[in-house]
Amino acid sequence: MDDSSDNDQPPYVTGFNGDYEGRRAACEGGAGVEGTKYAGRQYFVGTLTGHYRDFGDYPWRWYLLAQLTVKPEAYANEAVWCEEGSIQLLDENE
Amino acid sequence: MSDPLHTQLCEQLGIEYPVVAFTHCKDVAVAVINAGGFAVLGEAMHPPEHIRADIKWIRERIGDKKFGMDLVLPASVPEEKTVEELLAMIPQESRDYEQMIKAKYNVPEPKEAPNTHTWGGLDQKRALAQMEVMFEEKVPVFASGLGSPQFLLDRAHAQGMQVWGLVGTPEQAKKQIDAGVDCIIAQGFDAAGHTGQIGTLSIVPQVVDLAQEKNIPVLAAGGITHGRHLAAVLALGAAGVWTGTLWLASRESDVKQGLKERILECETKDAVFSDCVSGYTMRTTISPWHREWRKPEAPPVLKAPLQMMLAADYIQASLDHERKDLMFEAAGQGVHYVTAMKPARQVLSDLIEETLDVFDRLCGGDDD
Repeated sequence: MDDSSDNDQPPYVTGFNGDYEGRRAACEGGAGVEGTKYAGRQYFVGTLTGHYRDFGDYPWRWYLLAQLTVKPEAYANEAVWCEEGSIQLLDENE
Repeated sequence: MSDPLHTQLCEQLGIEYPVVAFTHCKDVAVAVINAGGFAVLGEAMHPPEHIRADIKWIRERIGDKKFGMDLVLPASVPEEKTVEELLAMIPQESRDYEQMIKAKYNVPEPKEAPNTHTWGGLDQKRALAQMEVMFEEKVPVFASGLGSPQFLLDRAHAQGMQVWGLVGTPEQAKKQIDAGVDCIIAQGFDAAGHTGQIGTLSIVPQVVDLAQEKNIPVLAAGGITHGRHLAAVLALGAAGVWTGTLWLASRESDVKQGLKERILECETKDAVFSDCVSGYTMRTTISPWHREWRKPEAPPVLKAPLQMMLAADYIQASLDHERKDLMFEAAGQGVHYVTAMKPARQVLSDLIEETLDVFDRLCGGDDD
């Protein structure tokens, strides 16, 4: 299922998890603020596409959350990559 | 009465006083550690080789004592955009307003243009490289402000390292406690930088209640700059304090001299919570940049990272040219009590003396 890209050698391995495709999820995320030594938490709600990226050997897995219905007011994008541990599936009991 | 300053944190770290300095200056870190406190050095902005050199430098000066380091491990990152794409998203109205501010306050050009080309995306790659140094060097305490991935906790614990988590809500605290962190930093709204919405007095006891089942120490953060603050949060059940603003104007601090002077002048009302720097709300000392963006005629603050791109020249120029009238720094509401440029050792000893005075006053003192 994994497919490494050899063209420009990104620092991750991409893949797809069909179990997550279309699942609604919340992401209690956050990141460093560009140009500063500070960080801020950011909260998102959206729909997982199932696409993931694995960084490092562990691996450190990130899922793409799209169709965002909740995002910080200052967030400029329409989708966000979320660390696996920061994701909470919202439709688990449905 | 047993020594109220000898807490679980002191036992866990082998330190004399339950005071943690969070600082970006390694001289401050060493001074605090050698004076009986503990220090966590913020290394988020540094490349791996810089971090490794800092670790060596600190170890040469503190011997076998423990120390900590803080990285900003991202928990979410936007889809990548090029700097050119981002720059194209900045409206002309905002560019004009930035130019007006620079002209009005005679802001010079930065000596070196901010390197915005390192911004945006792929934070994970940098974070992984930074983390690898932490593991290789077995840094005793690893602090993370945005959560800790499970592999990090597992590997750190296997190597005898502690992992600390900083939280702004009880829900975040529960998640970190369940994940297995070794210490929780409960940060209140009074704090510097990007903070949560809950005040320090409210969040600390709630997190203490959550952490006590697993016997995890809790540090109080946000507005802690006086011994009365330390005494108060110990009474709330905290095992110590996490302090940042307290050290900004210390003699060892590498903060620019003009900025130190500004910090000493600032009152609590001058530690403003605004989104005009990065697009996200953060608490900093006030500056002309803040005042101009407060005005009704100011255009809307841009989304991240566009607002920071707009502010970058102003910030860099204020530092490059040491313009005290322009500079600002992240500072908490406790800045009121930062009133003198003292050695870090004295800052710590004064804090402890103030705390002991509180306990003497409340308990009548040991000599009665």
